[in-house]
Amino acid sequence: MSFVEITGLSHRFGRDRGGPVLSDVTLSVRRSEFVAVLGPSGCGKSTLLNVLAGLVSPTEGTVTVGDGTVRIGYVFQAPRLLPWRTARRNVEFGLEQTGASRSAVRERAAAALELVHLAEHADKYPNQLSGGMQQRVALARGLAIEPDLLLMDEPFAALDALTRSYLQEELLSLVRRTDSTTILVTHDIDEALLLADRVVVMTQRPARIASIVDVPFGPERSVASLIADERYPELRTSLRELLRPQVTAAAGPSRAQVTADA
Amino acid sequence: MNRVFRPARIAISALVLLFLWWLGSQFYADYIFPSVPSVWSAFTSAVSRGVWMEMVGDTLLHTLSAAGVILLIGLPLGIVIGRSRIAEDLSRVWLVFLQTVPTVVLIAIALIFIGANTTAVVTVTVASGLTYFMLSVVQGTRAIDRDLVEMAKAYHAGESVIMRAVLLPAVVPYVLAGARIMLGVAWQVTLFAEYLVGSAGVGFQISSAIKLLDTSGVFMWGLSIVAFTLLFEYGMFRPVEAYLTRHTRRS
Repeated sequence: MSFVEITGLSHRFGRDRGGPVLSDVTLSVRRSEFVAVLGPSGCGKSTLLNVLAGLVSPTEGTVTVGDGTVRIGYVFQAPRLLPWRTARRNVEFGLEQTGASRSAVRERAAAALELVHLAEHADKYPNQLSGGMQQRVALARGLAIEPDLLLMDEPFAALDALTRSYLQEELLSLVRRTDSTTILVTHDIDEALLLADRVVVMTQRPARIASIVDVPFGPERSVASLIADERYPELRTSLRELLRPQVTAAAGPSRAQVTADA
Repeated sequence: MNRVFRPARIAISALVLLFLWWLGSQFYADYIFPSVPSVWSAFTSAVSRGVWMEMVGDTLLHTLSAAGVILLIGLPLGIVIGRSRIAEDLSRVWLVFLQTVPTVVLIAIALIFIGANTTAVVTVTVASGLTYFMLSVVQGTRAIDRDLVEMAKAYHAGESVIMRAVLLPAVVPYVLAGARIMLGVAWQVTLFAEYLVGSAGVGFQISSAIKLLDTSGVFMWGLSIVAFTLLFEYGMFRPVEAYLTRHTRRS
């Protein structure tokens, strides 16, 4: 029984400048699954998330998420924090929209900030926090509402390499602790392999699904265990090949299953 | 070091101004260049006769009621014009007209249509000050970060929450800047209108004082307005602004 069901999804923006951004995307995601959507920058992956979040109505196709009343957390590429609210109040913003009581809002926001190790910075304004800390606040805002579906749009792309790898490992341990379904959009192969159960490879614009790759590594993984795993470099290479423009163009919307031993 | 020297420098420049005033008044008759004591005595006499309170009260009433009307009309209109191309096009000619028409013409028109009364003074002040405030609100509305609105929608915030938590706080600094400029303009226009309309208020007192060659009175009324302008700036705008924009400070 799938939790997210995307069927024949196509989208073009008004007046069709630059052609469609998404073309005939069909994908189903199981509950608690972590799916990475991997593709070149600007291929329309963000539009896919916006459709799932209900921010964009697609031109064609249908999208169902659970029974339609699920809680969705959204972590954007930029933190998108309200500059006039402290870190704590920013985390509370998402919670406030769930209709939880004031005390519950306060409690869960504090817990979420604890989770991303920002408890001591709770009363600072975004302006007083580093880029990495701001993105952690945004992550806490998404996690605090205990989302049934967590959408992440290249949340670490704008960060420096060190902060990024630290946050990736942090996210890895966080998602193992919750049973929320996660869809992560990224153009970073290593990030996809580190975090996801399945990797959906998209073509260049208009984005279609080039391939869906099962990630064979279990739930207990880390950067170190991946590097030690002999299947990792092969998988990495095959994903690189899939992302190559000419290869993806030829592959079309097939759903070839590429596994580690392929 | 600057903490000590900056107030000292400001105090010194104030003393120099007072000294030059005193020096100048030594060479002229009181009805041309009044001395500091004669302006002071004009002040104490106006206060003891009750004229000072009454006239300053009138001018405050004119200025502040005009400012209130401007805030009430300008905020919603500014937001609408900032958000809608249609409203922008429809309002353009009106705004250009209000911005360019000479105040003295507005006063003349108000005298014909409304008459020599308080309503005319307030109306002229509203007409002159409105665009300064409104254009600032329009600018603030255009500067709103669409990404934040999208974020709010993704978390299922309703229209009223988006208005309260996202749009209004974003516009606040622009509203403050606009209100500050508008109030400065409102003082000037109100005094000018009172001077020409001749009903009541400090502007009216200045026009009577000039006719009686009571230059001390002109100085005294002028300084009273200066004092009020400073009071509003330091007693109201600065603290309110510091509070509402506290998130922009680092550390």
